[in-house]
Amino acid sequence: MKDSMKPVSPLDTSSIPCTINGSEINLNVPPAKRLLSVLRDDLAMTGTKRSCDIGRCGACMVMVDGVPVNSCLTMAYQCTGKSITTIEGISASGMDPIQRAFLQEGGFQCGYCTPGMIISVKALLDHNPDPSALEIEEALSGNICRCTGYGGIKRAVQKAIEWRKEAYESITD
Amino acid sequence: MLLNRQGSGARWRNRPDGPDKVMGKLAYLTDMTAPDMLIGRVLRSPHPHARITAIRTEKAEELDGVHAVITHKDVPGLNRYGIAQPDQPVLCEDRVRYVGDAVAAVAADTLEIAEQALRLIEVDYELLPIVEDAEYALTDDAPQLHTQGNLLHRKDFKRGDVAVGFDSCAHVVEETYYTPRQMHTYMETEGGLFIFGEDGRLTVYAPTQHGFMDRMQLARILAIPQSEIRIVSSPIGGSFGGKDELNVQPYGALLARVTNRPVKFHNSRWESVRAGLKRHPMKITMKTGVDGNGRLIAHQVRIIADTGPYATLGAEVLNFAVEHVIGPYQYQHLDVDGFSVYTNNGMSGEFRGFGGNQAIFALEGQFDRLAEKLGMDPWELRLLNMRKPEDLGPFDQPIASTEGAKQVSDAMTSSTLWQERGKSNTAEDEQAEPWTRTGIGAAFTMHGAGLGFGIPDPGGGRLTLARDGKIEAVFSYEEFGQGLIASLEQMLIEQFGFAAEDIRIIIGDSDVVPDGGSTTASRATSMMWKSLQNLRPLFEEAVLGKAAEHIQLPAKQLRFGEGGIYRIDGGSDALTDKCLITYPDLAALCGEPVSCTTQFNFPVSATDKVGAHFLYTYSAVAVKVEVNQLTGRVRVLHQYHAVAAGPVINPQGFLGQIEGGSSIALGFALTEDAVMSGGQYVTKNLDTYLVPTIAEHRGTIDVQPIEELPESDNYGPRGIGEVGSVTLAPAIAAAIYDAVGIRVTKLPIDPELLQAESFDTLLDKAVTRE
Repeated sequence: MKDSMKPVSPLDTSSIPCTINGSEINLNVPPAKRLLSVLRDDLAMTGTKRSCDIGRCGACMVMVDGVPVNSCLTMAYQCTGKSITTIEGISASGMDPIQRAFLQEGGFQCGYCTPGMIISVKALLDHNPDPSALEIEEALSGNICRCTGYGGIKRAVQKAIEWRKEAYESITD
Repeated sequence: MLLNRQGSGARWRNRPDGPDKVMGKLAYLTDMTAPDMLIGRVLRSPHPHARITAIRTEKAEELDGVHAVITHKDVPGLNRYGIAQPDQPVLCEDRVRYVGDAVAAVAADTLEIAEQALRLIEVDYELLPIVEDAEYALTDDAPQLHTQGNLLHRKDFKRGDVAVGFDSCAHVVEETYYTPRQMHTYMETEGGLFIFGEDGRLTVYAPTQHGFMDRMQLARILAIPQSEIRIVSSPIGGSFGGKDELNVQPYGALLARVTNRPVKFHNSRWESVRAGLKRHPMKITMKTGVDGNGRLIAHQVRIIADTGPYATLGAEVLNFAVEHVIGPYQYQHLDVDGFSVYTNNGMSGEFRGFGGNQAIFALEGQFDRLAEKLGMDPWELRLLNMRKPEDLGPFDQPIASTEGAKQVSDAMTSSTLWQERGKSNTAEDEQAEPWTRTGIGAAFTMHGAGLGFGIPDPGGGRLTLARDGKIEAVFSYEEFGQGLIASLEQMLIEQFGFAAEDIRIIIGDSDVVPDGGSTTASRATSMMWKSLQNLRPLFEEAVLGKAAEHIQLPAKQLRFGEGGIYRIDGGSDALTDKCLITYPDLAALCGEPVSCTTQFNFPVSATDKVGAHFLYTYSAVAVKVEVNQLTGRVRVLHQYHAVAAGPVINPQGFLGQIEGGSSIALGFALTEDAVMSGGQYVTKNLDTYLVPTIAEHRGTIDVQPIEELPESDNYGPRGIGEVGSVTLAPAIAAAIYDAVGIRVTKLPIDPELLQAESFDTLLDKAVTRE
C-alpha cells in the first residue's frame, strides 16, 4: 500500500508550512485541526475568539491571503503555503485606523466580537476603499454583535473610510 | 437634543477598556490557561425527563488521560444551586428534568479525551412522561416535577372588583399574547479557569454578574468557608442576565478539588444553548375595558410563564411581569394573576428586561386595540389614562415622583418620525416597491430598577488614595460590556476633578472589593453614582485633611484636581492655579493608604408588596416599519427612543445601551425563538437561532435622553440597561397594524401572517412593476 493510502488517525500530526502575521512557521498539528484551535490552543493567540464553532458568528475571523475566513471552519492543511493575518497581526504595529475608529465611535461593548469584526472591516476596505452601505452590510453580515445593535459599528466603519481616504489623499497630494 | 458624538463634545470619551478590546489584547476569562491544566466537560441528560437507575463511570475512569470522573456522590456539600432558591442539582442523583441536567463531569488532559470519556460513562435511564406545556403542567393529570408540585410561584394583585367593572364598560378587548423563548446569545459562551492554590484556597476565574453570590453558592456546594474562595469575574464577553446564575463553576471547582490541578471549561455553543437560561416564554391573556370616553375601568390579566425545570429567578421574573402588565396606567378595577410553572423544557431565567418585555408587549397591544374600538388615537388613549407624577405605583406603592411619563410622551409625539404618521408620499415611500407597505407605531414603558421591595439590595464601594498615589475606586460591579468602568471613570473625572491617569479602577475580584450587591436590574450606575455622592465628603475630609497637614493650608481651601491637590481660589491663571502636592507625593507622606467606604441600600418603596419598585425609567418609542407582503418580512426603517432616566452619566454608554437593547428587542419581535419540541431544542446554534445582523439594522435610531429630574430628587441617574429592550416590540406591532391592518399577538412575528391574501395580484404587480 502506498503511504498516501494508509489510514490516518485524526490525531496524527503533519508539518504544515505557512505564514502567520508575517512570520514563517511550520505547524505540527493534525491536518484536520481547526485553525481556530491551532491559534488559540497551540499558539496561545487568543485575540481570535471562539463562539459558535459553525461559521455563523464571525468571532473567529482571520484573513487568509487577505480574504476573511472563519477560522473555525478552516482546517490546518488548508493553510499550507498561505499567509494568515490575525487581530494580533493587525495590532502589531500599533492601532490601525480601523481600530481607532471603533474606539472613538464606540463600535464595541463587551468586545468579544470586535477582533473578528475588525478583520472583516479590514478585509473589506483593503479590497474596496469606498464601499456602499449595502456592500458594508454584506461584508459584515457574517459578524454577529449582540451588544451594540451595530450603530457604533456602522459609525466606526464610516469614520475609518474617511480616515483612510484622507490618508490616501495626503500621500497622493 | 438627540444623543450623539458631536453633541456630546468632550463628554464623549474613549472607554478605558477600549484599546485592549479593539486590538484583541484583552484576555477574557475563557482565554486563560494555566500550566498543568486539565479540560473539563459535563455529561448532560439526553432526555427531558427520566429516572436515573444507574451511573457507571469505570470505563471512563480507565481511559488514558482522564484524571477524574465525578457524580453526585462527589459533591461534598449541598448538591443544589439557585440564586433565590437552590433547587437545581449540581449533579443529578436519581432524576433528570431537562436536557441540560448534569449527570457527571470529567477532567482530562485534552478536550478530545474528555469528550471520549463522556461517551464511556454509562447511565441507565427510565423515561418518564414529560411536561412541555405550562398550562398542562398546572392540571391534575400532569406528572409532578417537584415534591411541591409544578407551580414555582403565584403572584396576584387585585383592586376593586373587575366583574363589576366590566359590566359598566362601553368597550372590552380580550386578547392572548405569546412571547418566545429568547436566548441571551452572549458571544462568549460560559467557561473559566478553576485553581486551588498552594494555600488551599480556590480561585475561580469565571464570568458572573455577582461574584459574592457565586462565592456563597460555591462554598455551600464545596462545604468550605466562603473565605477560602476568591471569585475573579471580569471582563466578560456579554451576559444580559444569562451569566447571573451559576453555570460551569460548580463543575470546575469540584474537578479542581478532586484532581488538585487547574481545570478549564469553555462551553461549546450547543452546550450553552442546552444548559443555559432563556427568557421565559409567556402566555398573557388580557381583558381590558373602558367607558365610552376611553377611561380605563377594568383590567384582568392571567400570566402563564414557562420557567423550565428549576427556579433560579423565575419567581422574581414573574413578580416583575405582574407589576409591568399594570404599568403606568390608572385602572378602577384590577385583577392580575400570574403563574410561574415548572416544565421539562429548557431553563428560563433572568434576561435583560426581566419579564417587562413580555408584559409590555401585551399591555401596549391592549391600548392599540381599545383605541380602535373607541375610534380614538391610540396615543391619546394612553395619555388619558396615564399616571400623574403624584400617583401611586402599579402595586399601589409610593414611588419616586417625576414627570418622566409626560416628558417622554411629549418628546416622542413631537418627533419627526411621529409627525410623519398619517402623511403618505415621503421620498422613502415613493421609492418603495408596490408590494410593500409602511406604517408607524409607538409604545410606552415604565420600567422598574433595582430588585424591588423585600429582596436585599445592597450598594456601596470604596475610594482609596493608594500607596503609589493612584486614586483607587473599588466596586463589586462586573463589566460585561455595558461600559461600567467607563461610567465610573467619567464620574470620577467630572465630579471630583481627577485626571484619567490619576485613577485606578478595581472591580471583579471578591478578595479586594466590598460587597455592593449584584450587577443586575439596571442598578449599577445608580449605585456607583450614589456611592460617589456619599464618598465625596468623606474622601475630601480624609485626603484634603492629610494634604492640609503637609502644605500648611486649611483643608477647606483645598480641592482635588488633575494630578494632585489645588487651592479652591487658585483662580484661572495658570501661574497661581498650580498643583500644591501631587497624589504620589501626598501618598508617600501619608505612608498608609487613605481609604473611605460607603454601604447603603438601593432606594425602596414604603410598601409591603414584594417586588414593588421605587425608581422607574420611562421610555416612549416610535418606529416606522416596512412590511413586504410577498415575503411577509418586516423591516424596521426608523426608530425614535425618548428615555427619561435622569442625568446622562456617559453619553457613549447611554447611546450604546439603548441601541443595543433595541437590537435585542428587534430579535424578540421578528426572528428569535429557541424552539423546543418534546423537551428537546430544535434550534441548536446560530444557524437556526437568528439574532439580528447588521443587515437587519438598516434604519436610523434616534435617542433622546430626558435628564431633568425634580429639584428634590436626589436619586440621580436611573437605570438604562434594560429599558431599551422592552418598548420596541409593541411599537413594531402597532406599526405593522398601521401598515397592513393585521394585529400581531405572537412573537416572533410569523411572516405567513403578513403575506397578502391576494398573493396572485401582488405577484402580477411584481412582474409588471405597476
